[in-house]
Amino acid sequence: MAASRRPDEAPSDEQTAFLESAVERYGKATYNFALRLTENEADARDLTQDAFVRVYRAWRSFKPGTSFLSWIYRIVTNLHRDELRRHKGRYLVELPEENDSRALSGATLTETPIDDYVERQFSEPVARALDGLSTEQRRIVVLADIEECSYQEIATIVGCSVGTVRSRLHRARTQLRKLIDRHMKTST
Amino acid sequence: MNDTHPTFEELLDYAHGELAPARDAALHEHLGACPDCFEAYQAELQVGNLLRAHARETERELPLGFAQALVRNATERRVSFWERWSSLLRPLAAVPIAAAILLVAYFGFARHGGTPRRFDPSYYLEDHAALAASVPFEDAAALPAMLTSDETPEGSDNTP
Repeated sequence: MAASRRPDEAPSDEQTAFLESAVERYGKATYNFALRLTENEADARDLTQDAFVRVYRAWRSFKPGTSFLSWIYRIVTNLHRDELRRHKGRYLVELPEENDSRALSGATLTETPIDDYVERQFSEPVARALDGLSTEQRRIVVLADIEECSYQEIATIVGCSVGTVRSRLHRARTQLRKLIDRHMKTST
Repeated sequence: MNDTHPTFEELLDYAHGELAPARDAALHEHLGACPDCFEAYQAELQVGNLLRAHARETERELPLGFAQALVRNATERRVSFWERWSSLLRPLAAVPIAAAILLVAYFGFARHGGTPRRFDPSYYLEDHAALAASVPFEDAAALPAMLTSDETPEGSDNTP
């Protein structure tokens, strides 16, 4: 693995072009991943910013042909974990009401109004159920079911064995199903 | 048909495509013939679908100008706290360095003969005494002339 750039080393055009390309292609995915982990827009921005700073500094360590998303998700996951350790728990600031995604027209990717309606019906219980998971469980569920990463990719991103990923995902999904059922009953 | 019903964990791994090929094929065959397991499998798929639907629902575009800010903030040189302090303190370091250079220059010059030796008259007096003692007929030598003074103390009676 090549050494990362020293802080006092002058940036090259190639390095800047690498960053610009990465932000253009993966900025949105990274930001949304950070948003799902933190459930907070300001923290998601900070996390995304810090992740791309690391990408920029360690750009030579990226191996062409490997998954950039896995790499940056790993960076985001580590930064998020560090941040949680520093704060000894969850992020305190919750998502403000005006940032509710439903207020942002055109942001959804549903194909028909019926799909849109169904998704909205279930989105609230799922959001509450996800919120009821521990940070570690939510991280695994987001990676496995939303980002659709393989167990091996998750293990690389999270930094544990495939067996650990498997057992954590099983527990998380069991817990999630119970929570979704509960919130669906309470919402109807 | 495989009569062994899969566990919940196996169904989940199957839904994620994480079973070994042989077990995957066996489970695939089993699900085609066992309505209960198929229903359980569908329920797990449904949870996954709900999660992805929720993700699509809550997906955000990057905030306006954020992509440019990402590049700008990453590429601009960040000066750490220590670097800032050390740059402030750097001129102060010149003072002890200059003092050290001056001290070394002064003492080094003095040690290597830069300053003339002090004249010590006792050395020459002793040397002269030793030399005089070794001269023969020293006792016969004329006494050195006594210095006399024309000055007389006031009030003396030896005036003619």
